[in-house]
Amino acid sequence: MDAPSLKRAASAAVMGVGGLLWLAAILFMAQTAQNSEQFSRLHPWILMINAAGLVVLVGLLGAKLTQLVRDWRGHVIGSRLKARMVWIFGVLATLPILLVYFFAVQFLNRGIDSWFNVEIRKSLDDALVLSRSALETRMREHLADTELVAEELATVGGASPGLLESLRRQVGAVEIIVATESGAVVAVSTGLSSEIVPDEVPSEVLMQLRQRRPFVSLEPQAGGGYLVRTAVPLGETVPGRQRLAVQAMYPVAQRLGALADTVQAAYQQFGEKDYLRKPLKASFILTLTVVLLLSLLAAWYGAIFTAQRLVQPIQDLVKGTRAVAEGDLDTRLPLTSHDEMGFLVHSFNDMTKRLRRAREDQRRAQQAAETERANLAVILARLSTGVVSLEPDLRVRTANRAASMILGSDLEAAVGSRLADLGAEDGLLRQFAESARARLAAGDVEWREQFTFQAGMGRRVIMCACTPLPSEGDAPGGFVLVFDDITVMLQAQREAAWGEVARRLAHEIKNPLTPIRLSAERMRHKLLPSMGEKDAQILDRGTETIVQQVEAMKEMVNAFSEYARAPRFEMASLNLNNLVTEVTDLYRAQVVGRGVHLNVSLDPGLTSVVADQGRLRQLLHNLLINAVEALEGQPGGEIAVTTRLGQRDGDEIAEIEVEDNGPGFQRELIGQIFDPYVTTKAKGTGLGLAIVRKIVEEHGGHIEADNRAVGGARVRIDLPLSATTKGQAAPREPRRPEPRRERA
Amino acid sequence: MSNTDRPSRRTMPQFPRPGALLLLCFLATLIAPAAFAEARLVIRSASVALDEGVYELNARLDLALPEDARKAIDAGVTLRLDYEIEISRVRSYLPDDGIASLVQSYELQYHALSQRYLLRNLNTGEQQDFGMLPAALERLADVRGLPVIDAALVREGPTYEVRIRAVLDMGTVPDALSWLLFWTDDWGASSKWYSWTLRP
Repeated sequence: MDAPSLKRAASAAVMGVGGLLWLAAILFMAQTAQNSEQFSRLHPWILMINAAGLVVLVGLLGAKLTQLVRDWRGHVIGSRLKARMVWIFGVLATLPILLVYFFAVQFLNRGIDSWFNVEIRKSLDDALVLSRSALETRMREHLADTELVAEELATVGGASPGLLESLRRQVGAVEIIVATESGAVVAVSTGLSSEIVPDEVPSEVLMQLRQRRPFVSLEPQAGGGYLVRTAVPLGETVPGRQRLAVQAMYPVAQRLGALADTVQAAYQQFGEKDYLRKPLKASFILTLTVVLLLSLLAAWYGAIFTAQRLVQPIQDLVKGTRAVAEGDLDTRLPLTSHDEMGFLVHSFNDMTKRLRRAREDQRRAQQAAETERANLAVILARLSTGVVSLEPDLRVRTANRAASMILGSDLEAAVGSRLADLGAEDGLLRQFAESARARLAAGDVEWREQFTFQAGMGRRVIMCACTPLPSEGDAPGGFVLVFDDITVMLQAQREAAWGEVARRLAHEIKNPLTPIRLSAERMRHKLLPSMGEKDAQILDRGTETIVQQVEAMKEMVNAFSEYARAPRFEMASLNLNNLVTEVTDLYRAQVVGRGVHLNVSLDPGLTSVVADQGRLRQLLHNLLINAVEALEGQPGGEIAVTTRLGQRDGDEIAEIEVEDNGPGFQRELIGQIFDPYVTTKAKGTGLGLAIVRKIVEEHGGHIEADNRAVGGARVRIDLPLSATTKGQAAPREPRRPEPRRERA
Repeated sequence: MSNTDRPSRRTMPQFPRPGALLLLCFLATLIAPAAFAEARLVIRSASVALDEGVYELNARLDLALPEDARKAIDAGVTLRLDYEIEISRVRSYLPDDGIASLVQSYELQYHALSQRYLLRNLNTGEQQDFGMLPAALERLADVRGLPVIDAALVREGPTYEVRIRAVLDMGTVPDALSWLLFWTDDWGASSKWYSWTLRP
């Protein structure tokens, strides 16, 4: 059992004990009122029980009030409302009780006083005096009779039984006694058959007689009725002897005695009640006061109890509301009644249950949304297509990793930035953002366009599509830009097209070249001896030219054939530094003759690379030829060939860099420098760098070409140490200089 | 102008504050019964004497009524006095064995018509009247020759204890009102037990 339950049980027990004590006191009072002796014995107990009941009530009330004050000071929820209700209930109960008490006391005072008003008292007094007067007349008559008897006895000088009997009958007495003044009976005559021995003469009668005075009194009898006792002293007696006296008893008429009894009884009862008036009033008032006190205390206790019962559900509701406000939706309030408050509590419980269910649904939906979002984020992160979502005000909302890779900038760090502020001047990101912003600013919210941008490393072609995001209103909830770098794809398409052209050229042109050359040589062989010197010279030059041009065309066709030919790889581990040294040594004497200085810097840590040695040698040849031809006629030319062991995406790579201090690439052609038939030289097929890039891509490597800041061209090649992508492998996407991060 | 026309602040009737009134009433309920003087009842002497095979009691009571009680009697209230007499055989290790018990009751009443005080023996119905209250009280306080037990009921050998006390009560209030006098039951009084040993 918890503490509040114990407290309630103890309180109920105390109340029960108090109530039982009070009930017992009332029962005692009712029972003992019938028995005076028992009443006197139980009187202290009854007092004590009443006092105990009061003390218990006072204690309970004091405890409740103390708790109320403590709650008030402690700002306990509902304490003010409870105090107000207690005050109202208490006052409402106290006022009528006090009013009733006041009027009851007044009524009692006046009512009891009216019972004993002056008229009744005076009437009774008068009745008593009247009765007494009537009886006194009789008493005086009887006294006179007794004096007559005394004179007769004195005259006779003795009290013989016969004389005494005769005198008794004569005066109508019931008994005549002749006795000495000390009380000794001398003679007696009685008419009372029940009495054999006469009663003693009372001492007060004797005392009166000793003073020589007559005595008369009215004496009520135990069985009812009255007797008149008279006594007179006798005359002088013989000296030395005791003096005598006569006592005579006379009956009072029955009718007169009954009337006197009635008056006496009424007077006696009235006197008794009158005397009890004050204690009666005091008792009434005290009893009322006790009832008042008990009622008041019970009323105040009841007020507190009722207020507590009324406020408790409100306190529970406030606590429950606070708990709900703090997020505790498991709060359940006890249903203590089935009235409006119970309905409120039931509604509250129903509300919290619904809220909890709604929160659970929301949590599940949020969890599902989060899961979807995470899945989408993973998909977007792994997607090779760039996806950027924009707010309606064209701020970046989200961007995936591919977007950053394509645009060469960390777009995830730019989340929240305006589209117009993205990227550096002339950067790819700025160009892309400006293009997209221009379309969106023009009100074009759904479009698809291929952009061509001039990046530092060349031309970039980006296919971009824009779609508005749905929203609740008419205005779009934002935009999503989906774009892809199709530069490589276009390049591959072009290469495939050029390969097809080369193959057809090789096939269609190479075949007639041999008959042309053979025909020219036959014509020369047949006609030259028979022709004149002048014609012979013409024929000789003509045929010589034909043969030379045919050879030139044949070389060109071979070059085309070589470009279009599907390579056959012989992958093997080779020492790249040795290969570079071998190739550069072939050119060293040649370039020195042209005034060009060739510097070779090799990384000793770069030991072996898995590659096709022949293709790699051709790659170096083409690069060196390209550099040498670029430095044609330029004094102080320098060519630098460098190898390094580097890192790319966590894998070790071999880096080959060829630089020269020539005129460099034309800026407008940088983007197409690796395309076939793109050359800035007067002669050449324009296939050199195209073949280089083809070889690099066949090895799963990466190639970049740009101009040095100090002037001159630079070509940088990355090759994986272990050949993961060989031969027919698809070309890899170009590597971007910026680091890439997965979006969280 | 009389004094009543110029009531001073001190003479104005002051209605007590409700709280103080309630407190006073509450205290009054507890102390009121003790506020009245009680009658003094003391058994001064008592003895039993064997007379013709019957033990008779002689006792002397010191009875002093307060003035209120005397006035009450004069006003018509009936005074009742009971002599409670108990005789028990004394036993060593057991509770005493009650042999006999007797209540001798008297009523004293003022008869206004005859202006006499009537003393009534409720056991025998005998009635005596006195012209003065002290004479009636004197008679009431003097018990002589009251037979209490037959000698045949008291064996020789064991020790007997005789004890007596007097109980004073104003018992003539009607039952309907007696419960109201609950709070002022001040006249009820009883003497302490007066006991002595009887060895037949």
